[in-house]
Amino acid sequence: MNNLLLSLRLAWNVVVRNWVVYRKDLLANISPTLADPALMLTALGVGLSPFIGQIHGLSYAQYLAPGMIATTALFTAFFESSYGFYVRMTFENVFKAMLTTPIGVREILVGEFLWTFLRAGLMGGLVGLVLAVLGLLPNPWAVLLFPFIAGTLAVPCGAIGLLAAVWVRNINQFQTVYSFLIAPIYFLSGVFFPLTDRPVLHLLVQASPFYHGVRLLQMAAWGRWDGMAAAWHLGILALFTAGLWMWSDRWIHRKLTT
Amino acid sequence: MPDSVIIRARGVTKRFGDFVALQGLDLEVRAGECVGLLGPNGAGKSTFIGCLYGVVLRSGGELSVFGRDPAKAPRLIKERLGVVPQENALDDGLTVMENMRLYARFEGLGKKPAEGRIRGLLEMLSLDHKSDVVIRALSGGMKRRLAFARALLADPELLILDEPTTGLDPTVRHVLWEKVLSLRHAGKTILVTTHYMHEAEILCDRIVILNRGVVVGVGGPRELIERETPGFVGIFAPEDEAVLRSHLRDGWEVFFQGRRCCVRAPRFEDLIALQEGSGCQALQLRPSNLEDVYLKLTGRELADDE
Ligand SMILES: Nc1ncnc2c1ncn2[C@@H]1O[C@H](COP(=O)(O)OP(=O)(O)OP(=O)(O)O)[C@@H](O)[C@H]1O
Ligand SMILES: [Mg+2]
Repeated sequence: MNNLLLSLRLAWNVVVRNWVVYRKDLLANISPTLADPALMLTALGVGLSPFIGQIHGLSYAQYLAPGMIATTALFTAFFESSYGFYVRMTFENVFKAMLTTPIGVREILVGEFLWTFLRAGLMGGLVGLVLAVLGLLPNPWAVLLFPFIAGTLAVPCGAIGLLAAVWVRNINQFQTVYSFLIAPIYFLSGVFFPLTDRPVLHLLVQASPFYHGVRLLQMAAWGRWDGMAAAWHLGILALFTAGLWMWSDRWIHRKLTT
Repeated sequence: MPDSVIIRARGVTKRFGDFVALQGLDLEVRAGECVGLLGPNGAGKSTFIGCLYGVVLRSGGELSVFGRDPAKAPRLIKERLGVVPQENALDDGLTVMENMRLYARFEGLGKKPAEGRIRGLLEMLSLDHKSDVVIRALSGGMKRRLAFARALLADPELLILDEPTTGLDPTVRHVLWEKVLSLRHAGKTILVTTHYMHEAEILCDRIVILNRGVVVGVGGPRELIERETPGFVGIFAPEDEAVLRSHLRDGWEVFFQGRRCCVRAPRFEDLIALQEGSGCQALQLRPSNLEDVYLKLTGRELADDE
């Protein structure tokens, strides 16, 4: 037990290190994650809304709103864990340096996961607040749940980025991972259009953690909570997290020790 | 007393694919000792050091540090040691001060005691004027000094230094030596690798010479010289070789160090006599030193009569 606490404290140090670097460029770091969903909402929500009419009894802007939180979480998690982790590992010697201290490989991994959770939770929460202020949330109380859901959705997405960081042979290959994996997940997981009438796509997206996070956020934002469905999505997210955790644990050990 | 052995290696091996970097390394470092690990490039010094704190996983053999296996309990070991890795491994995105503060935190130091210690260390290594500079903007020698300062943060019982003075100017090198000696007097255990024989002689109680992943010589610096290459060395021009050989006596040796033809004899007077007898003028006459031992044991001394 004592060991576990100590290990967690050491993992927390990884979060602190990332925060120390992150806060130096706070504005530059935060603005794209907030500006992108704002632009998207303006262009699609405001611009397209009048042409689209209602989806499931929601205006298109309302339909789009929870997806913006998911998007923020996904991109925060993926870029921080792919490019971010890669740069820390390869160019900044962060982990080599940490490994000379009591911090071990596993603590580095736990710390990176924690960092992803917190950052995505924070950013997702902020986006949620903006949506509430804009009056796009049928259920404004959802803002209390957003940070948690955004963080939970971000961890498995971050783990994918981390694995990409371990596998790529150079930094340019992230573009490939983005184009063939992240972008399809992003565009096809029900953020922009409902999947209810598309059985094939609906089945396919079950295999992406992002979709389950999107559904949880939508249920919360629209105030259409379904206990069974929520449990299903959370359960799948937990499974993804556990599986990807074990996988990245193996690879990170292999990468950071010889 | 088994407790007084801090590092114990028995038949430690490390393979990288087909390549064997350590092939059955035996070594002991006792508490309060300063041991120098010498050996040519690629001998396996850094690989062995990696094994000691768990970033290199050995392929075989037994290894314990503070009585524990670094492959299994690296944290318990790392809590008690400080490392200066060969390639610095500093977090390049941080400033000097941020780096020191963060690492004090990693080592579990409280804020207050950390501040004093950090200032002291930065001052000692003349880095205090660089506190707010980002690490990637430091000169090579400054990075080296910072790596050293960082390793000392937690006042570790065991200090592992992988070529700590590479790239340091002579002034700083002396400051660092002084610090290492004072740590040694304070009873710390130190393992240091270096390519400077003079440095090893100054710092170390005991020398371990490594070649191709095995130990080829162990002993105090004087002891090693007495045992392996006792006496004095005359250094001559290569053209003199034939003449010198014809004047050789029992117990004398001719060998080459680079292009220089050297003669080793038990007494200084022997070499004077050799000069007079052969008519060859030595470029230098000197007592045997650790470099002679090193060159002999690692096979870089090209002896042709053995
Ligand atoms: N990760 C690795 N993969 C493959 N081979 C390696 C690896 N690390 C080290 N080696 C090899 O192991 C041997 C020992 O390397 P090591 O770095 O331990 O030498 P060293 O004694 O520290 O040399 P130097 O004096 O140059 O620092 C070298 O031949 C090196 O090429
Ligand atoms: Mg080395």
